[in-house]
Amino acid sequence: MLVESKLAPIRKGLLEFLVLKIVGARSVYVPDILRRLAGTEFTTQEGTLYPLLSKLRREDLVQYDWQESDAGPPRKYYRLTDAGRAQLAALDDYWNRINHTIADMGH
Amino acid sequence: MKRISVTVSLNRSTLQFDDAAYARLENYLAESASLLEGDPDPQEILSDLEQAVADQCARRLRPDQTVVTLAELVPALEEIGSVQTPAASVGPEQATRATSRPLQQVSEGAVISGVCQGLARYFGLNVTALRIFAVLLLLVTGGGVILVYFALMLLFPYAPLESGSQPIRWLPAKSRAFTEFLREKLSLATS
Repeated sequence: MLVESKLAPIRKGLLEFLVLKIVGARSVYVPDILRRLAGTEFTTQEGTLYPLLSKLRREDLVQYDWQESDAGPPRKYYRLTDAGRAQLAALDDYWNRINHTIADMGH
Repeated sequence: MKRISVTVSLNRSTLQFDDAAYARLENYLAESASLLEGDPDPQEILSDLEQAVADQCARRLRPDQTVVTLAELVPALEEIGSVQTPAASVGPEQATRATSRPLQQVSEGAVISGVCQGLARYFGLNVTALRIFAVLLLLVTGGGVILVYFALMLLFPYAPLESGSQPIRWLPAKSRAFTEFLREKLSLATS
């Protein structure tokens, strides 16, 4: 518990990175993202995801298309823009560097 | 006669709610809207949330059930969770937004209504220095500055309350209530 709370701000900051990763893998709608994160350290809720996706869309990192669904109203399917893909690659790279740094410390 | 249910249009869905569930829903959406104050595009997020509520409630209805009650709404809202705004990235954009804030009154830590604090925040001045200057003006103008203060109090909107900051003292709370009361009266008189 203590460890979890110590890294809480990092987890919060990483959520955006993870959402970009999920959206980058294939076009998804919000329940897909929630399911993908459920049970991980990054379990989240719609109340958190919608504001985040709205911000990412404003920053032109993600886009959405409306798709008809068999049950209920059309759904918003999100995908990465070119800028989003570039950002994801840069974040991936940076995250790898951080991991290396952490692994190298203490030797 | 008793009203059984209200029909609610939630983004692209329409559902029936009983009175208690409707009140709870209104409350949730109002709370979400206030949490999104300052977001550049709250309407999009609110529509998404409305849709999420509709989907979650519809999923919880029994096949023979047409009206959403608290039994469906409460767990639905729990699953959706309250609005969390994304961690703001610290950058130059952030800095310009902070300085381009409109003139507002700040109730937290105010002495009268928060006009001095609002002016100090807007112009980047020391609030204590500004208050001393205001008291000097009061003496020089023989109280005329009171009218100016009163006018600004009616004109400047109140900054949204920041949770976790210092509590509001008695006079600022009363001033705020009084101002809001007056504004309501004035808008009623003009409309």
